[in-house]
Amino acid sequence: MSAMVKLADLQGNILRGYTKKPHVRYLILEVANPAAARRWLAASTSGRSDGVPQITSGDWGASKPDTCFNIGLTYEGLRTLGTPSASLEMFPNEFIEGMTARALKLGDVGPSAPETWPAPFNEPKRIHLIATIYAEQPEQLNDVQKRALADTSAVTLVGTREGYSFPDDRVHFGYRDNIMQPRFEGVHDADRYADGQPKAPLGTVLLGYRTNLEGLRWRVPEPEELGHNGTFNAFRVLKQDVAGFEAYLDQAADELLKQPQAVGELLPPGAEAKIGKVFSIEGVTPRSALREVVAANLCGRWRDGTPLALSADVPDPELVKAANFDYVGESRCPFGAHIRRSNPRGGKIVQRVANNSRRLVRRGVPYGPAYDRTQPRQLEPERGLLGNFIGANLGAQFEAMSCDWLNLGLQDPRLTGSNDALTGANGTDSSWFDLPLKSGSTIRLRGLPRFVSTQGGAYAFLPSLRAIRYLGSLTT
Amino acid sequence: MPSEGGLLDRFVDWLPTTLFFKRAASWILVPYWAHKTPVKPLPGGPHPSFEHGDNVQCMMNLIMPLKVKSPIGRAEAALAIAQNKDAIYAGLNNVGTVHFARFVIVGDNICMFSVYDGDFTNYIRDFIATIGSVFNAVVALVEDGEDVTPCEKNVDAFIQWIHERDLYQVPDTATDFLRDQEALNGDTAMSGNHDDLTLLPRKLVLQLRANPNVSLGNGYRAYPGFSAAQVRERLELGW
Repeated sequence: MSAMVKLADLQGNILRGYTKKPHVRYLILEVANPAAARRWLAASTSGRSDGVPQITSGDWGASKPDTCFNIGLTYEGLRTLGTPSASLEMFPNEFIEGMTARALKLGDVGPSAPETWPAPFNEPKRIHLIATIYAEQPEQLNDVQKRALADTSAVTLVGTREGYSFPDDRVHFGYRDNIMQPRFEGVHDADRYADGQPKAPLGTVLLGYRTNLEGLRWRVPEPEELGHNGTFNAFRVLKQDVAGFEAYLDQAADELLKQPQAVGELLPPGAEAKIGKVFSIEGVTPRSALREVVAANLCGRWRDGTPLALSADVPDPELVKAANFDYVGESRCPFGAHIRRSNPRGGKIVQRVANNSRRLVRRGVPYGPAYDRTQPRQLEPERGLLGNFIGANLGAQFEAMSCDWLNLGLQDPRLTGSNDALTGANGTDSSWFDLPLKSGSTIRLRGLPRFVSTQGGAYAFLPSLRAIRYLGSLTT
Repeated sequence: MPSEGGLLDRFVDWLPTTLFFKRAASWILVPYWAHKTPVKPLPGGPHPSFEHGDNVQCMMNLIMPLKVKSPIGRAEAALAIAQNKDAIYAGLNNVGTVHFARFVIVGDNICMFSVYDGDFTNYIRDFIATIGSVFNAVVALVEDGEDVTPCEKNVDAFIQWIHERDLYQVPDTATDFLRDQEALNGDTAMSGNHDDLTLLPRKLVLQLRANPNVSLGNGYRAYPGFSAAQVRERLELGW
């Protein structure tokens, strides 16, 4: 395994995706009594098979765990547990302030504003601990939850969120997700994912190591056992308007059909049939093919996963999990495509020093029932994504990406003033997206409504196993 | 309020315009107010906004008191900038979001004024990554600079230190200023009767006592905001 990092000291969900455990439940917890909660933490790393569920580490040894259990602590949680103030002061500002205080940077405005978030996220100061259960079978979630909440003097459940991974790693908008994560220096990955990107230094995802910005190190909260091998997570409840998204694809396809030259460039001979073969809900028509062209351009991948950087005209079944590409030269992936905006890889960007420096580990799971386009309901139930965006410095990674790249488009002058069309705070009267044509010109799509809105979230510290033991042993 | 009353009213209205009254207010009344209602300095930098136009061409007005308050100290500061000129240009090129940056010595302060795009913390962090050594050389000459250098090892603390020395940008309208003050204090009630906007609002006087150096407004643009890269692209200078 790794020579640089002791995986047994890391929480397992940082470097592992738990892909064989599709059922995920988040327990949003408040510390009931600090002393009892510290005992609860100590018990979670005691190695006992009964009582409080054991924290899953990054080193599974010979046998895979039946279920996985991990925790994140908010600043309020650390404070309530009795973490010394000298240690608390060493945490970064954004973590101390919490996600709700950073709403403008994250684009949490209008229908995403924290003031509109439902319980328990309407009372952020009561969110102390977010425990996550991962299981193969849904009934296992209940068993683990029961054990986690058995000691009512330790923690109080203030809310839950639950998700389920769809087959083929599809998410609600119909895209294949979870195709790739950053590969890290010093962490074994058997070269499974050639992704055309340099391996990220461990300091991208863990405190205490070299970062991607030359010479820069993030402050590690002391004592060393508290901060080292810890990291931060932006937990987000992201509601997705799938019906609205599909309706927009109809609208955009109809607009494009009015421009025969554009249709000719977007659908070269044979493309319509190939696209229709992969996405055949409406049969093979120019309109249904153009819907998919728009969906592919907004994301940067066709909905089956094929990256536009490798196959811009049609999806390619051989490339549905392809990750080995870059945006150098004349890439046909739009500058504004979601995957390019959030990770411009080695492509030219305004902030040259920032290439590869804002990468994140993403762990997401859909919540709510899948949308059935053939049987739309009068009132669609809420659905979306429970997302974890993990990095050693939320300010330098998650917030920097959200603020300057997704919301402002600062990385490319051709994007500046637009927000990410797929996930951003779209306004039908102001949002735009430039769809590139083969000839090199672009067609500007307008009238994009907001497809994703934030419905909750919190910044959490993901402590190492050693840190959990340290917190469990505090006597204050 | 204007009065058409008698001699006494006119006397009372005239009194605040006298130099004697202004001096007496500065020496006695304002310290008394400050004692009664302590005011926290409002934070510096642009007002947080989600609007695209507010997030390009933002102003930083950094005032940093020199350790050595003499012609020697000022000369050291001048040399520190001059010796790092090439690195500064290299930094501007690699960070890509700065329109211009100026260094000015005023009194015994070295000041850095710049116009940049996007988020302040990203701007400073990217500069630390590019030319942290220049920051270290300049900040070494500044009071309390040793607390946050080398900046590469104290990234968050350094950014906070810079933020604390960035001037508060007084809104153009007094009502916006009062909202800032209330937000700082977590006060959601409307301002009380000390804030007659036809007079000098007491809170503004007290804020300028706590925060003597401020920027008036956030810069007046002769044209809408563009990013530095947009300007370079339109002028075909490459970006």
